Amino acid sequence: MKGSYLIGRLLSAIPTILLVTFFVFIAIHLVPGDIVDIIQGTQNFLTPQQMEDLYRQYSLDKPVPIQYMIWLGNVLKLDMGISMRSGQSVAQLLVEKIPVTFQLSIMALGLSLLIGIPLGITSAIKRNSPLDHSVRFFGLVGLSAPSFWVGALLIVWVSSTVQNFTIFGYVPFHHNPVQNLQVMFLPSITLGLMIAAQILRMARTSMLDVMSQEYIKVAKAKGAKNRKVIFHHALRNALIPVTTTAGIQLGFLFGGTIITESMFALPGMGRMLLQAVNERDYPLVQGVVLFIAVVIVLLNIAVDILYTFIDPRIELS
Amino acid sequence: MSNRKAFRRGFRRFAKNPLQLGSLIIFAFVVMVVIMPHVFAAYDPLKMDYTALMKGPSVQHWFGTDQFGRDILSRTAYGAQNTMKIAVLSIMMATGIGTVFGVVSGYFGKWVDQIIMRVIDSFFAFPSIILALFIIAMFGASMTNLIIAIGVVYVPIFARTIRGSTIALRESLFVKASRALGKSHLKIMITDILPNISSIVIVTFTTNLSTALLTEAGLGFLGLGVPPPHPTLGSMVGQGNNYLLSAPWMALFPGLVIAVIVLSINIIGDGLRDVLDPRVGK
Repeated sequence: MKGSYLIGRLLSAIPTILLVTFFVFIAIHLVPGDIVDIIQGTQNFLTPQQMEDLYRQYSLDKPVPIQYMIWLGNVLKLDMGISMRSGQSVAQLLVEKIPVTFQLSIMALGLSLLIGIPLGITSAIKRNSPLDHSVRFFGLVGLSAPSFWVGALLIVWVSSTVQNFTIFGYVPFHHNPVQNLQVMFLPSITLGLMIAAQILRMARTSMLDVMSQEYIKVAKAKGAKNRKVIFHHALRNALIPVTTTAGIQLGFLFGGTIITESMFALPGMGRMLLQAVNERDYPLVQGVVLFIAVVIVLLNIAVDILYTFIDPRIELS
Repeated sequence: MSNRKAFRRGFRRFAKNPLQLGSLIIFAFVVMVVIMPHVFAAYDPLKMDYTALMKGPSVQHWFGTDQFGRDILSRTAYGAQNTMKIAVLSIMMATGIGTVFGVVSGYFGKWVDQIIMRVIDSFFAFPSIILALFIIAMFGASMTNLIIAIGVVYVPIFARTIRGSTIALRESLFVKASRALGKSHLKIMITDILPNISSIVIVTFTTNLSTALLTEAGLGFLGLGVPPPHPTLGSMVGQGNNYLLSAPWMALFPGLVIAVIVLSINIIGDGLRDVLDPRVGK
């Protein structure tokens, strides 16, 4: 039952992924100027023959749909091509950059769940108290403050108050865990604050919703302790919509990493994508886009399956 | 007449909350700045002054000056104008196109719905800022292209929301009655469906206006906004970011203005939803 559902979902995701990569392929090729123009622009001594060779080397002499088919065929053979700019293989570059973005996303999501769920739930339990009002206002501010401004504030504030805190200078976790966590901390807050605000609002609304349900009243009428009602009966049900929100946020997270990584000079995928688009590095852009599309689609499926564990009433269909 | 009464009653309910009233006043002020920035800007936003480079906030320059000695308050006023213009026009574009797609998709259902929703879903699978980044890279950075890019990004959100409401209406009695009376599909969509989804369109408009502002600001921050020297709030933060430790006011003031504008829109949006959306109610 679950197996066939999974296969069906995965199959239905394929057209979406193809459509996305095709759109992007067309889009990036419509951008005026290509890699050969860029090489020509910086070095300016290519003969017409050399330019033609370059075009052929990058298969830019063929029509765009054919180029797409060639690219797709190679991807199916697990060959994502070579970055036009650096000459490294796209797969190699992805493997290098993904850990940074992955760590950033996980830390941001973790922080936002850690902030958002307890605040949202407490706010709902103590409805209309001063605490509720301030938490709700905090939620609105979190939704409204642009992440790069929050990042700027954090940088200014931390650099002027905390001694010996490393803000810039990424090192991989296995080289220096302390410095790694220090460097990743501010970016994670920057990226996570807006998601925390969304999760907080969703947790509050859905907790209020659940608390007004009949079965909660019944549980209370039966004389169950308040604490037990909240943790045993309400919380689990209230967390279902929160999972959806968190799932939707994961896509947003990838968009957010572009800004956060640029701001904190982290060598991740988002910054690489921005650079690749600016440099018209087609294979690299395609590789990153394919990766993001696949991850988002898989995450959506994972979220759907996660529901069935949280809420056995939901059936996969 | 009764419309006016309902409006007044709604407004009174809206204004009862001091936070909402305050946001409305702030937003009205922002609108004034956007309409006539020259009244609020003491200096020419593009004029460089080499005698006052990167000066901190002072009586002459409330928000300080930037690396070319330009007055940040004046640039913020004109930047707010550009940013708001882009956000409002792009969301208007998204509202128009999204409403058409949503109503058509929801009203006809079947294969029309299938095709439209499949394309919309594939757009949805993508972080909006990445999509906008591609469109800007494709056509180059200019105000018109920014409006188109952000507008396109928000079409799916409107289409989806409005499709949902249209489906609910399609099965209602008065629509069936109109069909039985021989009204054309087009006429039903315009005279029966549209007026009944208008409050949902308004709520979706306000809630997405604030995120469109943030998208514009984000693109500006990444250097993909309106080309320099013309300011937008996002690009000012982006440029100021390079001088964060020596001249923090360059980034922090324009960023604060973005946050305040977006916050006021969000609060107004929440309030509007309470007043307009019958499903939320009390």
